[in-house]
Amino acid sequence: MGAVIETVDLSRAFGPQQALDGLAIDVQEGEIVALLGPNGAGKTTTVRLLNGVLDPDRGRATVLGLDPARDGTELRRRTGVLTEAAGLDDRLTARENLVLIAGIRGLSGRDASRRAGELLERLGMAGEADRSVQGFSTGQRKRVSLALALLHDPEVLFLDEPTSGLDPTASRQVIELIAALARERRRTVVVCTHFLDAADRLCQRMAVLDRGRLHAFGTTEELAATLWSGLSVELDLGGPADPTTLALVAGSRGVLDFERVPTGVLVRVEGRGAVPSLVGALVGREVAVYGVVPRAASLEDVYFALQERRLGDEGTGRSPGPPRSPGDRVAADGGHA
Amino acid sequence: MIGTGPVAAVIRKDLTAIRRSKAVVIPMVAIPLLLLVALPIGIGLAARAQRHTDVSGFLGRLPGSVAEPIVSLPPDEQLVVLVSGYLLAPLFLIVPLMVAAVLAADAFAGEKERRTIETLLHLPIPDRQLFYAKVLGAFLPALVVSWLGFALFAVVTNAVAWPVMHRIFVPTRLWGVVILWVAPAVAALGMGVMVRVSARAKTAQEANQLGGAVILPLLFLAVGQSTGLLLVTMPVAFGIGAAVWAIAGILIVRGAERFTRDRILSG
Repeated sequence: MGAVIETVDLSRAFGPQQALDGLAIDVQEGEIVALLGPNGAGKTTTVRLLNGVLDPDRGRATVLGLDPARDGTELRRRTGVLTEAAGLDDRLTARENLVLIAGIRGLSGRDASRRAGELLERLGMAGEADRSVQGFSTGQRKRVSLALALLHDPEVLFLDEPTSGLDPTASRQVIELIAALARERRRTVVVCTHFLDAADRLCQRMAVLDRGRLHAFGTTEELAATLWSGLSVELDLGGPADPTTLALVAGSRGVLDFERVPTGVLVRVEGRGAVPSLVGALVGREVAVYGVVPRAASLEDVYFALQERRLGDEGTGRSPGPPRSPGDRVAADGGHA
Repeated sequence: MIGTGPVAAVIRKDLTAIRRSKAVVIPMVAIPLLLLVALPIGIGLAARAQRHTDVSGFLGRLPGSVAEPIVSLPPDEQLVVLVSGYLLAPLFLIVPLMVAAVLAADAFAGEKERRTIETLLHLPIPDRQLFYAKVLGAFLPALVVSWLGFALFAVVTNAVAWPVMHRIFVPTRLWGVVILWVAPAVAALGMGVMVRVSARAKTAQEANQLGGAVILPLLFLAVGQSTGLLLVTMPVAFGIGAAVWAIAGILIVRGAERFTRDRILSG
């Protein structure tokens, strides 16, 4: 099957402000994709365009084979959205919020009640089902709102900050629920989030947006490869490397760069072949090497490196170009996404 | 064509939420009680106490055909009928206009204020149906509240006037036309204005302030003209109602045509 979501040059402005500019991404069936970027990056605008509640100025989108701008009503029968504000009516109970919205989605009263009960149970909110939403915490609201998005078992889910306000246990539950939907039921999920660790655990690919423009799109590994050449390995030396050891590392064949870390040294080498000679050089000078661990770049490493590169490209950053290695991270703009 | 399913479901949701909201229910009950029950009791009792007052001078200044139904009554009944049967008539139009306007102001602006608008916009209901659902969600409670109020008005007015009248004198047939035909038209007119304002405003308060500029003159017009409305003939009352319905209809239909999700979010 082709892409479930595909955008070409998707653009939208609000007055003089270009909220989204030429977005081109695709999302496959059963895939979870993260939209990352600081506030005002264009993440929410993207979701609104993909679900047909905003119309594009330029470009086009296809979701489940439908044009959101033309077939919005039909599309919205098959999609579910968790909005950032949770969007629950404070005057109603959790169950009433779900059952009344289910009615608008065309579920019969009995089906709506049954489905609402199941979801509230699954999301750990069964005990609060008949309480007014007004007294709910942010996390409780988020869980009811997620139930709202899942009411009609949608084929595509758009989730805006699904784990914000949740405690670690609830956050893990939600991540596992979303992952299971994609894995077992082949649901396609687009997640807008500031939480890079949640995105790292959940998403296969990420689209990094900033001021409406797409800066990068791919898997963490693909994006890391565009930022850093070679392979990073962490040498466990039982403590931070001393200057003599660092000099040995610097002089070893195939070493591109390195960084002192609390347990030893993080080294980026040209390839696997450079590792034995590096270790040999250290052991030969009686430096104790307790372990050699390949260190893949995390989503967080990649994200901040991309942010730093963007700042460098614009000439406003303090250090142009990408960081030397995945671990050598610089806080880019103070905001995670 | 309006599909009944999602439209009815949106109305059901709005009505459930309205019932739970003390801030909406209390004024919706208190204002009609004050205007259609407490005020008629007070004024009716005063008129009853002063029933021997000679009103022929006042009636003499009215056109003959207008004054004739009152002049033909026994002198004791003239003041009571004049006050309770005619001069309190503005209340019939104020209540539906006010209730409809308050609820319509909340229709979209209230959803924006409560940050629930986006949940609504992401649902599978076409723009036009959503607009009509919001209009009906404001119109139906306004109608129910108004008609219940009118029923109470008739009961208390007849009860207060009973020692003088010894018969039920309201509602008359003309009142029926005003209550069943003109008052709903006035409610629809107020709503047609306010729901469009509500779609543009960010909060219900802002909608009320913006809409007030239009609603208040309508209110004064209603107050000024409604006594006269009870003095006209039936065909004229029907005609006036039809004209108000036509204006309300045009406002609502054009509002629906211009309403889009995009405008709500980007406005």
